[in-house]
Formats: sequence, C-alpha cells, structure tokens
Amino acid sequence: MDAAQATPIKYDMDVVRWFSIAAVIYLVVGTLIGVWIAAELAWPALNFIPEIAFGRLRPLHTNAVIFAFGGCTLMATGFYMVQRTGATRLWSNGLAWFTFWGWNLVIVLAVITLPLGITQGKEYAELAWPVDILIAVVWLSFGLNHIMTVAIRKTSHIYVSNWFTMSMIVMITYLHVVNSLAIPVSLATSYSIFSGVQDAMIQWWWGHNAVGFYLTAGFLGIMYYFVPKQVGRPVFSYRLSVLHFWALTFGYVWLGAHHLQYTALPDWTGSLGAAVSLAMIIPSWGGAINGMMTLSGAWDRLRTDYILRFLVVALAFYAMSTFEGPVMSIKTVNALSHYTDWGIGHVHSGALGWVAMVAIGALYHMVKKLWNTEMYSDNLINVHFWLSTIGTVVYVVAMWVSGIMQGLMWRDYDEYGALTYTFVESVSAMHPYYAMRTIGGLIFHLGTLVMLYNVVMTVRQASAARSTAAVPAQV
Amino acid sequence: MTRLPGYLGMDVAAMTTNDWLGVFFTLGAFIGMVVIYFIVFRPANKDAFESQRGMALDDEDHINAGEKND
Repeated sequence: MDAAQATPIKYDMDVVRWFSIAAVIYLVVGTLIGVWIAAELAWPALNFIPEIAFGRLRPLHTNAVIFAFGGCTLMATGFYMVQRTGATRLWSNGLAWFTFWGWNLVIVLAVITLPLGITQGKEYAELAWPVDILIAVVWLSFGLNHIMTVAIRKTSHIYVSNWFTMSMIVMITYLHVVNSLAIPVSLATSYSIFSGVQDAMIQWWWGHNAVGFYLTAGFLGIMYYFVPKQVGRPVFSYRLSVLHFWALTFGYVWLGAHHLQYTALPDWTGSLGAAVSLAMIIPSWGGAINGMMTLSGAWDRLRTDYILRFLVVALAFYAMSTFEGPVMSIKTVNALSHYTDWGIGHVHSGALGWVAMVAIGALYHMVKKLWNTEMYSDNLINVHFWLSTIGTVVYVVAMWVSGIMQGLMWRDYDEYGALTYTFVESVSAMHPYYAMRTIGGLIFHLGTLVMLYNVVMTVRQASAARSTAAVPAQV
Repeated sequence: MTRLPGYLGMDVAAMTTNDWLGVFFTLGAFIGMVVIYFIVFRPANKDAFESQRGMALDDEDHINAGEKND
C-alpha cells in the first residue's frame, strides 16, 4: 500500500457502477421469469403460446440469472476488487466498456433467440454458435483486462479474491470453448463435435464446472473481499483461504461425472466423481468456516448490519449446499435423488441461498461506496433480507419434499413386482409442492423489487446531494 | 480383499495415450496438493501468509489519504 499512499489514484469505477445497476435489474428480470415458469409447471394452462412455454423460457431463466445477473455481478466485483486491492486503475478502461456492452449484447441475443426456440440443447450452454463465439470474445476481454490489471498492480501481494477470479476466468474460458465446439450448418443450427457418451461427459464436465468455477470460485472471491470489508475485520485465516483456493482449483474439475450415475458412462467415472465430491467437503467447509469466523468478536453486528446478514446467511447456505451435493453424488443416494426435484432444490439452495445472497450483500456494499452515500433505507435492506431468506427456505423445502416423494413413488413396487404408481400419478402428487415452490420464488422475487427500488432511490439521493454539494464519490 | 488387486492393478501394456495423460494429471494434482499443504502449514511460512489477512481492509488507507476517485 506504500506506493498507493504516495500517489493519489483515480480508479475506473464508472463501468463498475453500470455493471452493478445492470446486475440488480437482471436479478429482478431473471427471478420474474423463474416465478413464471414455476407457475407454468404448477398450472400448465399458462403455456399458451410456444414462445413463452416452459421449454423455451427455462433456458432464458437460467441464462438470465447465471450469465446476466451472475456475470454482471462477477464483472462489477472483479473490476472493483482488482483495482482496490492492487491500488491501481484498470489496465484498459476502454476494454472494460467493450466488455460491458458486449456482455449485454449477449444477453439481448439470448432474450431474442431462446424464446424463438433457437438452442443447441446443451444445458447452461443453449445459445447458438455465433453467440458462443461472441461470449468467448467478450469473456476473454474481461479476462485479459483483469489479469493485466493484476500485472500492473502497485502492491506486492495478489489478494486471494483475485486468485479466485483469475481461476474462474481461466477455467471458464477452457470449459466454454471445449463444450461449445460444434459444426455449424446454418446461422442458428450446429452439431456438437462430440457424440454419445462423450458428449454427455463433456456436457457435465462443463455443467458442473460452470457451478464450480463460475458460481463458486468467482463468488468465493467476492466473499473473501466483502465479508472482511463489511465486518471491518481481517479474514480469520489467510492460510486457510490459500488452501481453500488450491484445493478447489485442483479438485472441482473432477466432479462432473457424478451427474451421470447409472448411465452409459463407465462405472468408475461416476465413482471417481462421487469420491472427489466427498473430498471437496473439506475445503468447502474450511472456506465457509473461515468466512464465518471472520466475524469472531463482532457477531453483535448482525443485529444492526443487514448487509452483513446477507453475507453470513450466504455462507450458511454455501456450507449446506456443499455438504448436500456430495451426499447426492453417492450412488446409493443418487439412485433416489437423480432426475427428481431434489436436484432442483439443491441447485436453488446454492443459487438463491449462496450465490444470490452473497452477490446481494456485495452489491449493497458497493453501491454505498460507489455513490459515496448511505443506502436510501436500511429498513428496506432488512425487509429484502427476510424476503430472500423466507423465499429461499420455502422454495427449497418444497423441492426437497417433492423430490424425495417423486423418488420414492417411482421406485415403489407391489407384491407382484409391478410399479405401484404410474408416472402421471407422481406428476399429479407434485402439484401442491409446485404451487409452494412458485410462492417461495415469488417471495424471493418481491425482495429483488425492494432492492431495485432501494438502489434506484440511493443513486438518485446521491446524485441530488452531489449536484448541490459537489461531493466526490469515495470508492 | 480378493478383489483388491483388480481395483489397484494396472495393465500398462494396454494403456492408451489418454490413459497416460490421465495418470499424469492425476499424479500432478496429487503431488501439487501435497506441496500446497506443506507450504501452507509449514510453521516458518505462517507469518508471511497471515501478514496478508488485512489486505482487503488496507485499501481503505489510501482512500482515506485523500485520493480522488471519481
């Protein structure tokens, strides 16, 4: 920090502000689509035209929350953290703006193509091949800018958050490019160069590592920066954070095969995926404990600091999800859980409880810093916190009950060895839980509307104050 | 126990290039993790690592030193 203290720095934070606002808007839109498709499953009459049918809107929902909301959050926090911990401005502010507009163009193209049914049919990688190329170019522009900013830093050490972000950048580039390799036959149609079981393996190598590196490593970088910042205390153990980083980076890439238990994949690959999944509990819990113990001596802050509540509850969900996932990968449990709503419950425990909550905490923290103001309403943050927490719990519990019930109904047979229930009977039995899931999602979505209102009012309040007092923003 | 050799056995002559690459990366990851554990838990390295604990907080220092960031 010595060099930084000697020379005043003007950070490039305008692009971070835009990414932050975009993230909040995409959170509202993404969860709204999620509520709608949840309602479509509970009340199928809502699928009244193909363009808004579940099959077309489901990938739009996942793309909106993962790549639009998650991506904008990762890019906002990535550019924010790398400048502040490196005591330097971005390597290229122009390239950062290219990333912003390019990423938003990808999102616009997703909004147009997916409802029209243009898809590659690969989960979490549905977009057509020209959009895949655009994603690679824009993602590389983000990666190049981030890594070069690390390279020109004024500090001697590279903070662990930046390691997590760089790990995500490198691995997602590799995963996206390999999984998207395809032979184009028209502008909207292509065929994967992989076939059969290799295609399935590559797909889930991508699919699970999109979770592992994009939704875990990237957001752990956020956790290691924003938890200490918000609580005002150094991270509990830096050694543990280093171990967490390397164990995650070495280990996560092996897990994908656990999505393909009891399929045409060789049996040993599923066993390997399950074994490494179980081993990953150790670094994951080490990281969760490291984050929570950072609050040692300051737990009372949770009574009054609503932003901190988001971050701590996110860590609790992170610990829970990283235990549940490995348990579900064990073949005995997987025999019951696979293809059921339990998987949806697990994913949303991680997506709503961990990813969204830690991102929301970080975004609130950044909004205050970026506009150099207090939030318009702390009480609204508290309201948002409870809506998010209750919504997540209602959603996840509904899917747990529904999923386990599904699994038990599908495997039940009578004294003659015939199945006790038809598939349609199991679908019918799910209805109350699908309605409950819709309500849980709606509660969570209402929280995002509260956040958008609070953030907009905060920015307006800061703009009004600055226009009268000409106060410089402190970032 | 009688199946143990079957699990641990390796037919080297039948191994393809992909198999050897798998062995290389598996052993590389294993050795890499051992090295990381050794470096992180070596008592002599404790202070060097833990001196970075507050780095996320340190960046407030130069902000408060009067920098203009907008």
